Amino acid sequence: MTPPKNDSWTNRITVQPADPRPIWSQIEEGLRRMLASGSLGPGDTVPSVRELATDLRINPATVSKAYQRLVGAGLLEVRRGDGTYVSAAPPAVKKSEQTRVIRQAAMNFASVAITHGAEIGTAREALDDAWKELSSNQEGVRS
Amino acid sequence: MTNESVVRVENVSVRYNKQLVVDQVSLEVARGSVYALLGRNGAGKSSLMRCLLGLQKPTSGRVLVFGEDVWKHRARLLARAAYVPETSDAPGQLRVRDIVAFHESMYPTWDQAAVRARLARVGVSDTAMVSALSKGQRALFTLALALGSKPELLVLDDPTLGLDVVARNDFFSDFIGELADRGTTVILTTHDLAGVEGIADRVGILQGARLALDEEVEKLKVDRGQSLEQIFTELTRSAGRL
Repeated sequence: MTPPKNDSWTNRITVQPADPRPIWSQIEEGLRRMLASGSLGPGDTVPSVRELATDLRINPATVSKAYQRLVGAGLLEVRRGDGTYVSAAPPAVKKSEQTRVIRQAAMNFASVAITHGAEIGTAREALDDAWKELSSNQEGVRS
Repeated sequence: MTNESVVRVENVSVRYNKQLVVDQVSLEVARGSVYALLGRNGAGKSSLMRCLLGLQKPTSGRVLVFGEDVWKHRARLLARAAYVPETSDAPGQLRVRDIVAFHESMYPTWDQAAVRARLARVGVSDTAMVSALSKGQRALFTLALALGSKPELLVLDDPTLGLDVVARNDFFSDFIGELADRGTTVILTTHDLAGVEGIADRVGILQGARLALDEEVEKLKVDRGQSLEQIFTELTRSAGRL
């Protein structure tokens, strides 16, 4: 008997074991993206460590690590015996920090594209497609 | 680190007549971690697992479990551990409840309520004959029995071998739930690389009797940017060509 799956979470947070980024950082990023896009808002609950670990089939310690980092950053808060929630007033991402992170990710992306001999047009198309795919998974991503 | 190791394999070699099947293997399993031991058939996994369970004396070297030599103190040490064999050895002509009762009488730490709850959740009936259980149910039943004694160390020998996708998912759900609830230390062998990729903290790859790799999964990913399957295939294939 399979426990009922909360499809919305497994669709919205995906973990790619082959992705060189550690799994905890993929989860952290997934949740940050949902917060940034507004698909998760203040006061919303996030799944328990046990639930998310079972759904994604990963070690609970890994989920716990991602949650701890988000709690540390003030984005999530734990209410004892009640679960984990999105903070009432999650701190906004600073513009400078946003620019820095995006630039760095763009460098990585460009480097992969160039290494594989892609034209800039092809790379832009791929970025557009990825953007569309993410926005169809979660309403609220500004396209 | 040493104090935190639940399992410590020290320079273990196993030799059958002239054939060396485990060659000076050392590894540690830290408390609360999941260690996946990988290797192709005949790489020495089973012999190493037998040493770890105190069923076999290494030709040289030793295995410490909870800090003591498992060959010398097997009964005492393994009372705190549980073993899930590759194929369940529960007699088919008995009913589920009889086997549960037998286990209950053996372990002072037995948690009957938890076992009942777990069996109900996975749909294994108390009155079913063991022989009537499907392969997947049998695996879940064996896991439930292993967890019934609330072990500090769980040893799994290729637990998802021969299970279909649904049964495998059920098994991992249950297993991950256990990790979440109790933080049990685990050492397992498996061929299901994709299945353990997100679960194992550390992997060891046995290749030609030697431990060809022993590393944190997270570090492996960063260093190599490959999936466990790719790393495993490369390592065991290239070594096979030598």
